[in-house]
Amino acid sequence: MEGSKQSRREFLYNTSLVGGGLVIGLNFLQACVDNVKVVPDPEHPLVTTENMFYHDGATSITDFLQIRSDGKIFVSLTKYEMGQGVSTGLSAIIAEELEADWSKINIKYAQPIKDVANSTGGSTSILSHWDLLRRAGAFAKRLLIEAAAKEWAVYADHCSAEKGVVRLLGTKKELEYGQLAQRVVVPKNYREAFENTPLKFRSKFKLIGKNLRSKIIPDIVTGKHPYSMDVQLPGMKYAAVLRCPVFKGKLIEYESEEAVQVPGVEKVVAITLDTTDTIRDGIAVIATSTWAAFQGKSALKAKWDLGEHAKTVHKTFVAECRHKLEKDKGTEILRIGSKTKDADVDQVVSRTYEFPYQHHACMEPLNATAHFKGDSCEMWVGTQSADKIMANIEKHLGIPKENITINCHPSGGGFGLRYSSDYALESMVVSKASGGELIKLCYSREDDIQFDHLNPFELNKHTVGLKNGKPIFWDMKNVMANWGGLLGWMYYDIPNISGTQITVNGFTHVGAWRSVMANAEGFSTESFIDELAHELGRDPLEFRLSHLPRNKMVDFNHSYACNLNRLRGALELVAEKGEWGKEMPEGSGQGIAVYPYMHGNGYGAALAEVSVIDKTIKVTRISIAIDCGLVINPDLIKQQMEGGVIWALSAIFYGGTAYKNGVVQRSNFHDNRVYRIHEIPEIAIHICKNDEETPWGVGEIAGPVTYASVCNAVFAATGKRIRKLPITNGRL
Amino acid sequence: MTLNINNQQYAAEFDSEMPLLWVLRDILGLTGTKYGCGIGQCGACTILIDGKPIRSCSTPASFASGKRLQTIEGLEETKYRVLQEAWIKEQVPQCGYCQSGQLMSATALLMTNANPSEAEILDAMRGNICRCGTYPRILKAIASVVKENAV
Repeated sequence: MEGSKQSRREFLYNTSLVGGGLVIGLNFLQACVDNVKVVPDPEHPLVTTENMFYHDGATSITDFLQIRSDGKIFVSLTKYEMGQGVSTGLSAIIAEELEADWSKINIKYAQPIKDVANSTGGSTSILSHWDLLRRAGAFAKRLLIEAAAKEWAVYADHCSAEKGVVRLLGTKKELEYGQLAQRVVVPKNYREAFENTPLKFRSKFKLIGKNLRSKIIPDIVTGKHPYSMDVQLPGMKYAAVLRCPVFKGKLIEYESEEAVQVPGVEKVVAITLDTTDTIRDGIAVIATSTWAAFQGKSALKAKWDLGEHAKTVHKTFVAECRHKLEKDKGTEILRIGSKTKDADVDQVVSRTYEFPYQHHACMEPLNATAHFKGDSCEMWVGTQSADKIMANIEKHLGIPKENITINCHPSGGGFGLRYSSDYALESMVVSKASGGELIKLCYSREDDIQFDHLNPFELNKHTVGLKNGKPIFWDMKNVMANWGGLLGWMYYDIPNISGTQITVNGFTHVGAWRSVMANAEGFSTESFIDELAHELGRDPLEFRLSHLPRNKMVDFNHSYACNLNRLRGALELVAEKGEWGKEMPEGSGQGIAVYPYMHGNGYGAALAEVSVIDKTIKVTRISIAIDCGLVINPDLIKQQMEGGVIWALSAIFYGGTAYKNGVVQRSNFHDNRVYRIHEIPEIAIHICKNDEETPWGVGEIAGPVTYASVCNAVFAATGKRIRKLPITNGRL
Repeated sequence: MTLNINNQQYAAEFDSEMPLLWVLRDILGLTGTKYGCGIGQCGACTILIDGKPIRSCSTPASFASGKRLQTIEGLEETKYRVLQEAWIKEQVPQCGYCQSGQLMSATALLMTNANPSEAEILDAMRGNICRCGTYPRILKAIASVVKENAV
């Protein structure tokens, strides 16, 4: 398919449907049907993201979907796979409506498609492409049935499709999808036909709701999963960059004599880019192996103007944030009800909670392979935001978007870090600076931690006015480094509510970090309501439920309105399954928490059990309940919940960071510790039953409730209230 | 220098002090073994040398001279493929990046101890970090292989 990249863009367009509904452009489809692409086996089969899509004898019936004469079906992902399971979840949706044989489904990794496959995050992949992919599957099935009907000279409604086979009703006649793929004819009114193709009723689902096995695990366990780190291309060199250790510092001069003596080092070039303040000044070493590039980097000597952030003292920064929280008025971003005078209440309770900067430390360090070719370029990268990479290359290197080719690879973790496009832009800057070499830029683990886009530091001050034992008002005031916005606040039924924000300039760059603002909001809100319950002598579960009235939707100007029935349901389920209120041994306790994640409209609750021995906390058990609407794959949900709990436990006990003179003091897994296998508690996941017609978000539900439930359990066990994370090494 | 990897001889020119990880990945194209930390802290680069688990990121190639190397690419050809099967059955991996190392560590454990206790499994696997939090399933998968006496 000559020029298929252009066609791919043309054949899709956005409609006004929520979540980016989409029509499959069938002139392209017809071209695919007419034009069978024959390609040789790739030279490096382990790293192809095409997954043999354009294989000898293949026939595409859309670019999403390819059905081969042997019956194999290839699904082209519309979202980016970073371990959250979209390859399996999304293809199940297509396969369901297509009436495909699940065992014949194969995955082709996402390519950036304008306005469609460019951005992945916020726990929205399944819910935002649910409708689109159902329609794609249903439409393809319809074309296959029509092809069979034509073959048998009958009306299409005399045929039915199941498990990859079209049958003529009342006869033994059948044709497999593979036999039909090349006979598909595209109707002229394809856009209308696409929209009008009927979808299945929920009661008829065969694949959705089942524990279908992952489509990527077989490649993972044999070492063949095509991470961008594993890209190997003819003529490719390896690059490492020595960056200015302080954010926004400048390179003055450098000395590379020793570096170029390192065997394998070919070139040393400075990279400075005045047009962006997120790409740091640095010196790139180009070499014949990653090792040689790392060695060369170590041998470099550089002189930096470290700039103003070098004066930052971490403790002073935190103290200043606390001062601002008390003194600054801030910007009111939420107001429900009216302002209440302190005189109208019996008691005012106010508490401040601190959620630290947090590192990602994805297992696959940041990397990108780049080839700058003057007026065009090509990149191989794992990214949550291909559109941002293209926009930044266009903006900073002057290459028009249509001349940029991005090959998207699945990643060894994303967790929000791969929203940042710095590492990708930087790789292209290095390729350019090296004179157009094809280079794979690999961050060392130390680079990955030191130049991380951290979760923003956050302070949350909650203030409640109580009258006759009831909260009359609840104000939240927040200080946040380089970020703004509230996520899911305030879901409790309080008559007068306000949210006020103060954004401060932190001393490093920040980014999305799994669950984003819900981390600090969930931790602080659910800790505070626990404090109130204890203050008023109420049971923490009962107190929460008493402020979550049934059949109420709460709208706090986010992506979705919060359904309190769902929130209650999750809380009640976790209380039941986690045995809330059971007798706990001396020195141990239970804690409970509930939180909605309104980016993805998912509802979570947690019940934690901890024991504290010699002032050291051990989390022994965590139960999670989740309501995420229609369930696509229960096992994928459980994976995400287990992972989210362990992610949060790492943050509770080993999270945070430390800066000295503007330089990150953590460097690797010995000083940026994360949970290991011998530390994990028993984890039980419970999925709420519901009758929803659509799926909601999953990936970021577990974290916020885990922080709060563990800290509330620590209070129950010891009487000590945790208002600041991390609890380093679990020591009280 | 010649290396015996998964019962095949690989000959190539490279600095014998280069860590095996980078020889495998960048020189020989065996990219199943992963770079995670470079200092033996995370276990993503675990391979077997004469049946013992080593961190290839901090082991120079010269150390492997005349020894038998096993990497994830060769695991299917051994009886320890049952671990890969258990990994599929329990749906262990999420992003999967650490799993080559996890599988090689599990293989090394079962080579020396076909019937480990849970404590022994935890002890053998604690050197391998997983950021997605697949630990409960890793534990289950290894336990299932042990229980079924599969190796």
